[in-house]
Amino acid sequence: MKWVTGGILAALVLSGCQEKLTAPADCPALCPGGQPQVYDEVFTAIPGADSSYTGYLQPHQAPTLLASNGLQGFEQRALVRFLARADSVSVRDTLRAYTIDSVALSFTIAARDTTLDGVQLLLYRLAPTFDSASTFAAVAPAFVPESLIATVSVPDTLNSGVVRTVFQGADLSRVQIAAADSGKLALGVGVAAPSPTGVRVGALAGGSGPIFTTYVTMDVPDTGTAKLRTLALSAAFNTYVSEVPQISDSTLLDVGGAPSARSLIRFDLPPRIRDSATIVRATLELTPVEPITGLPTDPARLLARAILADVGAKSPVNTLVGRVPEDTLEIGATTVSLEAVRLVELWLGSTSRPSALILSLTPEASSFTRPVFYSTRVADPALRPRLRLSYLLSFPFETP
Amino acid sequence: MGRAMLVLLLLLVPGLLTAQSSQFGVRGLGFPGRALAVRSLGSAGAFGLFDSESSQNPAALATVVVLTSELTITQGFRSVENPAGSASLRGTRFPQLMVAGPIRTLPAAVGFSFSNYTSRDFTLATTQTIDLRGVPLSVSDTFSSRGGLNDFRIAGSYRLGDRWAAGAGFHIISGSNRLTSTRVFDDPSYLSSRQRSELSFTGVGVSVGLTRQFGPNFALSAMGRSDGHVNVDLDSARVGTVDLPYSFGLGLRWRPAATLDLAAQTMVRTWSGANSDLLAMGGVGAQNTFEVSAGAEYTSDPRRPYRRPLRFGARYATLPFSLVPGQQGHEFGLSVGSGVRFAQQRAGVDLALEQVWRSEGAYSESGFLISLGVSVRP
Repeated sequence: MKWVTGGILAALVLSGCQEKLTAPADCPALCPGGQPQVYDEVFTAIPGADSSYTGYLQPHQAPTLLASNGLQGFEQRALVRFLARADSVSVRDTLRAYTIDSVALSFTIAARDTTLDGVQLLLYRLAPTFDSASTFAAVAPAFVPESLIATVSVPDTLNSGVVRTVFQGADLSRVQIAAADSGKLALGVGVAAPSPTGVRVGALAGGSGPIFTTYVTMDVPDTGTAKLRTLALSAAFNTYVSEVPQISDSTLLDVGGAPSARSLIRFDLPPRIRDSATIVRATLELTPVEPITGLPTDPARLLARAILADVGAKSPVNTLVGRVPEDTLEIGATTVSLEAVRLVELWLGSTSRPSALILSLTPEASSFTRPVFYSTRVADPALRPRLRLSYLLSFPFETP
Repeated sequence: MGRAMLVLLLLLVPGLLTAQSSQFGVRGLGFPGRALAVRSLGSAGAFGLFDSESSQNPAALATVVVLTSELTITQGFRSVENPAGSASLRGTRFPQLMVAGPIRTLPAAVGFSFSNYTSRDFTLATTQTIDLRGVPLSVSDTFSSRGGLNDFRIAGSYRLGDRWAAGAGFHIISGSNRLTSTRVFDDPSYLSSRQRSELSFTGVGVSVGLTRQFGPNFALSAMGRSDGHVNVDLDSARVGTVDLPYSFGLGLRWRPAATLDLAAQTMVRTWSGANSDLLAMGGVGAQNTFEVSAGAEYTSDPRRPYRRPLRFGARYATLPFSLVPGQQGHEFGLSVGSGVRFAQQRAGVDLALEQVWRSEGAYSESGFLISLGVSVRP
């Protein structure tokens, strides 16, 4: 009897380890309360309460520099000023003159149209006097053949990476720094290619700025040997200029560009949504004024951030991981949809957070794409920014 | 040993068994519990009104002679069929806990018990295609409930001479249903939704019972019970009340031989009192139920009746909460069981196996219940 009892107990314990209570439901008999209902509703942004603000990131603060040869019907050029190169080097506590053997200039290609072959970077000597206020017109006279010091071919196999050119011998005169420039070398970067295109060049703010390297030889007495040194200088300042200035229309929503623009869009969700809905999908739908343009194979990404408090252009934004939806802006797209359910969830419940978001572009101030969307000021309601919500209201649990 | 082998074989038979969980407990307050100890379950509940370890009749406590505690574990395996499909299910419950003992200075006994009043443990799954944003979309829904109503009884009985015993009990009926509705979309663009709610219940009831012994071999037992109503709260907000039934039971017990004990009983419950309340809350309603059971206990050694007796019985009952308006579900069950006392009868184990069949129109289920009772008499 003992083993029987033990066996029964063991069987009970083993069989009871796992419950399985899921059965097929035949509605309505076995569906108390019915079945969940999903509602789909479109909410247009609050009329007149959407705006664009410009100036968040200036070209000289951009993580990459733009250079193009008419990609969007106009040219853009990068400008780089390197740190000053001293005319002597300290060796054994003594400043010693040196002889330049060669000079190398390195640029990081952050992105380019990888479907296009034969792309070249054109390097021009500039006076090191430009700054963040410089315009395309102001520097344009320097972009002439007489100032061209080098043409750097971008290998067709290179999608991104470093390109380099070296000056030796007689070519060193092209990068000779005049005494009036106080040791500062300044360059302008243009693009040449079989067809209009653009290149994003690494910049100081992105940690991948150009490098100016000088290889020198010093004759140090008492040692009887020549000392070889490498003087590597990073950019002290860099920026880029566009042939066509950026123009903003206050009746439209700008995103991106340089200085970069962001757009604030406000929505008014009804209490039945804010208080008790379970949102399963939220799609922000925007209509570009023109099809999205940009550099093929290097699309920008559109980001939406919920704002924590509505103080206009300087509204603090939510940056929680997973709550910042983003999506690629496809070149040629005539509508833009951004899945934003995790963002909209931040608006729900007993929160004082405003139902508003800020659109921005990444890489900011560093993209050839600059979308302009219709705002709520457009006459056709179908073109206005809108939020499409799929949601469930509270399930009507049967009682009982 | 032969009987033990039979028990073991029954255990291994691939069958279907039901615990308290049932698709017939989806509506209303759930699937009704039986407040029976395992030794009564073995004979299909036929001895329930005479069993001191069960909680049906407070007068039955009069037979308690030593402090006794008993715990019941029930493992159920069910096969469910309905127009949407079929499934094999299993679950474990602890439907009965009891502590009772005599009062030394009086011909009386008191007891506390914790019984399953109704059970609403289920998960129901459906799949369908809906049209959303102009696109057909497959969705899977599950609706689940965990919980039920419990019956905490404080009861006492008093022996009136050698033949009569009377008892009364006070019942606290409480519990909750933790409800969850989940929808999962096939398209990953949609998040799944999960909504929860909790129903809680509170109520009180009273019961009285009588037992009459007619000579050494025949006895009658009767009980009546009123459970009043339960207050129903949804997420802490009162949403209404539901009337609970009056219950009436009558049982008889006959010992034609020293080795054989026969019993039969019937119970009637006026669940229709809850009908209007349930309908007002959007439910399907409720109907009166009756239950009849008959069983026997055979022991090979009349001097030691606690040593592996063979119990068996059958029962039939109607169910209170319909799935489809106008219909009423019913169940039929066959039971077999045994038990053993050891440690100088200070401890015991009872086993009951029950095969049940339930149906209501196109809805049916069959199942196999293994109930194990552990009793201690310190």
